[in-house]
Amino acid sequence: MIVRPKVKPVLAYLALVVPSSLVLLGFLWLLITSFSTRTEGLKSLGWTLHNWRFLWESPFGPGYPSIWQITLNTLLMSLIMTVIVVVVSSMTGYALARMKFPGRKSFLSLTLILHAFPSVTLLIPIYFVLLWITKIPLIGRGVPLLGGFGYNTVGGVALVMVAFQLPFGIWIMKGFFDNISWDMERSALIDGASRFKVWWQIIMPNIRPGVAALSVFSFLTAWNAYLIPLTFTAGRAGKSVVLSLYLQNFISESVMTEWNAVAAVGLFQLIPVVVFFLFTQEALLNIYGGGRKGGA
Amino acid sequence: MKITIKALCKLFGKVKAVDNLALEIRDGEFVALLGPSGCGKTTTLLMLAGIYKPSSGSIRFGEKVINHLTPKERNIGMVFQSYALYPHMTTFDNISYPLKLKKVHKKEMMKRVQATADMMGIGELLDRKPAELSGGQQQRVAVARALVKEPAILLFDEPLSNLDAKLRLRMRGEIKRLQESLGVTSVYVTHDQVEAMTMASRIAVMNFGVLQTYGSPNQLYDHPDTVFVAGFIGAPPMNFLEMRFEERDDGFYLGSQALEIRIPDERGAQAKQNDVPQRVIMGSRPEDVSVVAERDGDFKAEVYLIEPLGREDLVTFRFDSEEIRALTPAPFHGQIGETMSLKLDKEKVHLFNPETKVSVLRSGNGGSS
Repeated sequence: MIVRPKVKPVLAYLALVVPSSLVLLGFLWLLITSFSTRTEGLKSLGWTLHNWRFLWESPFGPGYPSIWQITLNTLLMSLIMTVIVVVVSSMTGYALARMKFPGRKSFLSLTLILHAFPSVTLLIPIYFVLLWITKIPLIGRGVPLLGGFGYNTVGGVALVMVAFQLPFGIWIMKGFFDNISWDMERSALIDGASRFKVWWQIIMPNIRPGVAALSVFSFLTAWNAYLIPLTFTAGRAGKSVVLSLYLQNFISESVMTEWNAVAAVGLFQLIPVVVFFLFTQEALLNIYGGGRKGGA
Repeated sequence: MKITIKALCKLFGKVKAVDNLALEIRDGEFVALLGPSGCGKTTTLLMLAGIYKPSSGSIRFGEKVINHLTPKERNIGMVFQSYALYPHMTTFDNISYPLKLKKVHKKEMMKRVQATADMMGIGELLDRKPAELSGGQQQRVAVARALVKEPAILLFDEPLSNLDAKLRLRMRGEIKRLQESLGVTSVYVTHDQVEAMTMASRIAVMNFGVLQTYGSPNQLYDHPDTVFVAGFIGAPPMNFLEMRFEERDDGFYLGSQALEIRIPDERGAQAKQNDVPQRVIMGSRPEDVSVVAERDGDFKAEVYLIEPLGREDLVTFRFDSEEIRALTPAPFHGQIGETMSLKLDKEKVHLFNPETKVSVLRSGNGGSS
């Protein structure tokens, strides 16, 4: 009976340690593999940096864009998507949570349907939309850095990603706005704030955890996206290629797959995610803690 | 600032939250809107604040109709039940927010915030965030924020409901004194009749969106217009018994199986003038029911429940299948089950029409307002 109070935490730790060590084992394997010529399980048969050579030279010849160009593409695509999704969701979510306008209910159910919609079925129509955007001067393919917002551009891919992410973002943000008391908003209106100021100065600072959570989710979704970049860029070696596609270069049908290099590129793609996570995990945990009460 | 409300209605879909409300609030007056939850009192307040737009009718501040003005253009201050402080701002930022929006000069702003905070006794807490304040302090910040812009009208939405009993009593007094010294026209929403009675110069009682009565606390207590008001104002609530109204040669009588009482002539005459029906609802407050010696009693009843209140005991009696409560001086000398004689104070008997639930003792034309 005396042992009892100690059993509980031990069981809890066991429940946490076992699954996490399994996951960690996978990462450890990946790490060892990326620095080895060959491996037998977790045992390295010779250490090398060869697998990481993609960092300073293109393994597919000089015609291919460098890894840094590709990383920049991925970063740009992810950031554009995150910023647009967060800004649009915050405004739309607020309007849906707080304002009365005709079509509000149908808009809400429409976003829910879109959220559940199998996006794959939309790939072909979207392809035509992007082709059409390409023909618009300047916006189509004349924007520096992004290429533009048409087919085979970083901006175009980001745009499609935004469209798929928005329903989710709007619902999440609406939920956060719903949790803010009406009284606070009314109070600000009576204090003399305009609706926009209420939103920006009073409500938004109080749903920072929501903004953080949505940013993290959106960024990670974009960073790891594969299907949409693959569909809307021309080839794995094009100038608009992103990291997930670059990885695909190493797995080809004609040559033996260099699994050690795949491990290295995979880890490289993982680094920003881990860093991002380290800085935002507190915000992510906040989602499950619910809205803040009384501030602090 | 004088407030005049005329034929005010507010519909939410098909639900009438406020129905044909007419109310006049004099300049500098402290008026309480009293009623059970869902009676439309908060809706009325939010229409005064400009948060809700009236469905029909008019609201005037002074002579000006303000139906379509935004909250910002109305120069009002409001205190909420939840305090509604901005959690991400310090006390200073909370109080100064209305001034900041008005683009008041920084020096002037500092001065006014400090003065208001000092007046509310929170001058030392200006750099704290709301989460670091107690409930009472948060309420003071909320009041300071409402006062700092020197509003023409102050609105209170059950501001004391979240405070504990002792603090509530204290804040009640403070708000009343503050209102009297500043002379700002104030509307105070509450479901607590004690709060309304103690603080307001006039009380508007609402139920189901309809104004039941509007008058001074004493008027409402001594001459309730309707059964609802009679039952709502006063604790413990008034006793109601269904009785027969009879006019005989020697005067007016109320009767039922167990008792018969003669009521004062002027009350009877007044009731007769107001077309009193044969069956009436008789109301008598517990303090007007007393335990007496057998020969002085109007009727007999059995002791059912004794609730000591300290200064007095609240005793519930049963007779026939009716119940009647009496406030008796403590300690009460009686046992549960004992039969005792009771007497009603006939000078303070209230009579209501059971159909319309309106008092038949009102002077004037007897029509309901």
